[in-house]
Amino acid sequence: MFKHLFKLIWNKKSQNFLLLIEILVSFMVVFLLSSSVVYYMINYQKPMGMDYKPVWMIQYNNELPTKNTDSIVMFYDAVKQHIASFPEVAEVSFSGNNIPFSSSFSSTDISNKGVKYERISNFRVEDDFIKVWSMNLKEGRWFNAGDRIYKDRPIVINESLKKKMFGDAPATGQLISNKEEESKWRVIGVVEDVKDESDFSPVMDGMYLRIDTGTFKWLSTITLKVNSNADAAFESRLSKYLSNTFKNSSIEIAHLEDMRKEKNRSKAMPVVIFMIVAGFLIINVALGIFGVLWYNINKRKSEIGLRRAIGATGNTVSIQLVSESLLLATLSLILGVFFAVQFPLLHVFDMPSNVYFIAIGIAIIFIYLLVFICSLYPGKQAAGIHPAIALHEE
Amino acid sequence: MIHLKNIEKVYRTSTVETLAINGISLDIAKGEFLSIMGPSGCGKSTLLNIIGLLDEPSKGSIRIGDQDITGFKDQRLAKFRNEKLGFIFQSYHLINDLQVLDNVELPLLYRNVSDKERRQLAAEALEKVGLSNRMKHFPTQLSGGQRQRVAIARAIVGRPEIILADEPTGNLDSAMGNEIMDILINLNKNDGTTIVMVTHDEHMAGKTHRLVRLFDGSQVQ
Repeated sequence: MFKHLFKLIWNKKSQNFLLLIEILVSFMVVFLLSSSVVYYMINYQKPMGMDYKPVWMIQYNNELPTKNTDSIVMFYDAVKQHIASFPEVAEVSFSGNNIPFSSSFSSTDISNKGVKYERISNFRVEDDFIKVWSMNLKEGRWFNAGDRIYKDRPIVINESLKKKMFGDAPATGQLISNKEEESKWRVIGVVEDVKDESDFSPVMDGMYLRIDTGTFKWLSTITLKVNSNADAAFESRLSKYLSNTFKNSSIEIAHLEDMRKEKNRSKAMPVVIFMIVAGFLIINVALGIFGVLWYNINKRKSEIGLRRAIGATGNTVSIQLVSESLLLATLSLILGVFFAVQFPLLHVFDMPSNVYFIAIGIAIIFIYLLVFICSLYPGKQAAGIHPAIALHEE
Repeated sequence: MIHLKNIEKVYRTSTVETLAINGISLDIAKGEFLSIMGPSGCGKSTLLNIIGLLDEPSKGSIRIGDQDITGFKDQRLAKFRNEKLGFIFQSYHLINDLQVLDNVELPLLYRNVSDKERRQLAAEALEKVGLSNRMKHFPTQLSGGQRQRVAIARAIVGRPEIILADEPTGNLDSAMGNEIMDILINLNKNDGTTIVMVTHDEHMAGKTHRLVRLFDGSQVQ
């Protein structure tokens, strides 16, 4: 029967061409949508690598009149001490602007034994940064006061970068360099990967460098870990202190929880829009498939009547029509899978291969289900066609 | 072979009730070639559909061979039609998207017959109707007479005991009509196949063993 149905479909390929294209386009749309959703889901399931909930961010304009490094360091040290003295504050740390869930991004290219690694997230941090963010150390140690003096500048890298550079071997003690191989950095520790863009974003390869005294003049971000008693009244007191301290500076205090939500929203928005558009498209395709099958059944009434006359039951006719639709879908899917497989092979989007393969699987199941559901009712209608009447229709 | 007893067929709509067959009783012997004639709308095709188990009578009973068909459900009816009956229609009812050989083997698809055996039986049936050189053609590439011969091959491929032909020569000129008639007569004579044929053509009806005339749903001869 399979061979017979295949022959029937193949001989009618020109008539079925539009339906084949329609199913192919639907497959590609579902495949692309599934790829995004699967990619987001896989990223979502990965641990955050830090605790952002009790973290607040302060941004200020760095406009101190003095250019003397010592004076600047003393000033910011005093600010830090004062903020730390609030009972609501557990930890304080200055950092570069590219903290998690911020809109800033800083990256650099680095090199290890002649191999270049591009677009590595570059974080400037203080010794207390790890405590503010409750990050997890996986190997070696974090920065401390002893790192002020060094032969090779100490650097902490994240697990992703460590895996790429050193595989399963320990990274601590290894020397890496910048892209031009002018400065050498010694790896002193490895921290767990931090999802710093959004819940749905992948972990970027990252490196952490300790803020030195000369860096303070261009820093403008303070992060603090607050205790559970940190409320609006504390935020108001903190804001007042900062306004008095940073004269003529605009101060912004933001909660990382809010920043994360905003980032998640902006990350998910394009996919949601794509889902809505794809949803409408799939409804159209479903109606199209349904309409074509319905039309086919009306056009093939005499054939249905004949099949009933020569021994097919109503159910057999119904199963035949549903099978024909599924077979037709299979032809489109073979072509669709061929195109879809090019995505991981050609690295069309920067996603892992397994995402594409899962998406192909989802799209195949979806299309089969869609075609099955759309052909079920016309198939049932065909089963109900009275053979004597059908054979009289031309 | 075929026994119809007090067959009645009423078509009902919400407003109209039409009596298509009015108490027909008919016995058709094994190996008989029977023709049914009558004016348009007298119930010939309805009667043939009832004999062919494509339509249910409103009243009466049908026996074919030693089986009482009355009350058979869809699955049993389909199996019975497939194994015992062969159909020939005025408008051939060939599937234009399938080659001649594929059209002929259609009834065997609904039996447990291997692919190889199916092709062999279909080829034999086509040879019997003189179309073994047209197996790979599509129906649209054949003349009316050839198409009807394909339809006959399809009707006989499953070696049925009964062939039901609804105006098999109705769409053909007299020469082709005679050719088709000769094939049917040979099938009846050589294979002992029982044939029931509906026709408008007195000349064709004259070639059969017996003629039944219908008028307004009743048997008049």
